[in-house]
Amino acid sequence: MGKIVFAGAMSHVLDPDYYDAACGPVGRRKVEDVMEAIRQMGARLAARSPDALIVVADDHLNAFSFNAVPALCVRIGTTVSRMVQEDAEAFDKVLEDMPLTYPLHEALANQILEQGLASGFDLALSWEAPLDHAFLSPVTTLFGPRPIPPLVPIWVNCFVAPQPTARRCFDFGRHIARVVAGSPWNVGIIATGGLSHFPELLVARVGESDTVFDRKILHWLEHGEHEPLCRLSADELHKSGEHEFLNWMVLIGAITPARADVRYFGELGRINLAAVEWRVE
Amino acid sequence: MSRYAVNSLLYRLKKDREFRARFSTDPRAALADADLTEAERAAFLARDMRRINELGGYLHLVLSIPGLAVH
Repeated sequence: MGKIVFAGAMSHVLDPDYYDAACGPVGRRKVEDVMEAIRQMGARLAARSPDALIVVADDHLNAFSFNAVPALCVRIGTTVSRMVQEDAEAFDKVLEDMPLTYPLHEALANQILEQGLASGFDLALSWEAPLDHAFLSPVTTLFGPRPIPPLVPIWVNCFVAPQPTARRCFDFGRHIARVVAGSPWNVGIIATGGLSHFPELLVARVGESDTVFDRKILHWLEHGEHEPLCRLSADELHKSGEHEFLNWMVLIGAITPARADVRYFGELGRINLAAVEWRVE
Repeated sequence: MSRYAVNSLLYRLKKDREFRARFSTDPRAALADADLTEAERAAFLARDMRRINELGGYLHLVLSIPGLAVH
């Protein structure tokens, strides 16, 4: 019987140069601190020798265009490429030093997809979508020089309204838990992004974050109180800059009712950086 | 407001290096066929990403177009 052996969530722009430019030396220091917390989480993850790592993250209009914006999408196939962006700016630039291809856990991805469709989740699939910083910055920070296990990338539409609901993401996480339990594999799962930043997705509000909202969320996570999280509305998430918490909701559904330990939380104005790990063992 | 026209143009500016160069050299000509309102066209010609965002342009696009990104 398979098992989720690790669950963690973390911010996903992990680039000291980016935060130094955006926020000054305090930005560099705080992102280095959260990266150190993530590296320590990665040591615990690697010690559990996962057969696969599910990565739940969002697209920043990199992998998908206005041709189609899937609510929930499972990447299938045997390998995945990182996004290549000529003359990259901002958070796209951090990808440039990373490997070009990564192995996928084809069998687990197929089971999540096929069993999902059979049980009422109208999931999208992709054979070709590349990965941006939302996936690869956390993965490369977690593993450092260690080998990266086969990945199962899953996208949640966090930014292009209308998004899936928090409860739907949670329910999809329950589905993932059932698939893993019925499989022969030990699986890690991470969710990336957040916490509060870019309220209302307005340039005018870049530089603001909602620390009160973040602390409320973290309190619920630490106490395993997941029903209030499922009730978060699209409007609440939009106004508080918690769009990417939808990724976290998938993970929470996969491990509920486990409690979380906050490994790092740092207010930075532009964003509140966070790293959280759940007690799944 | 033509939200799709604004965002498809932003997406093209991000992903299409040749189009980005044309826009840089002669923005009025590059936008000639775009289905934009007067306000949207004026914002693009002024390279005013904050205004484009207010008019419906997705934040992550206006933050990440090479050479045009607002920070």
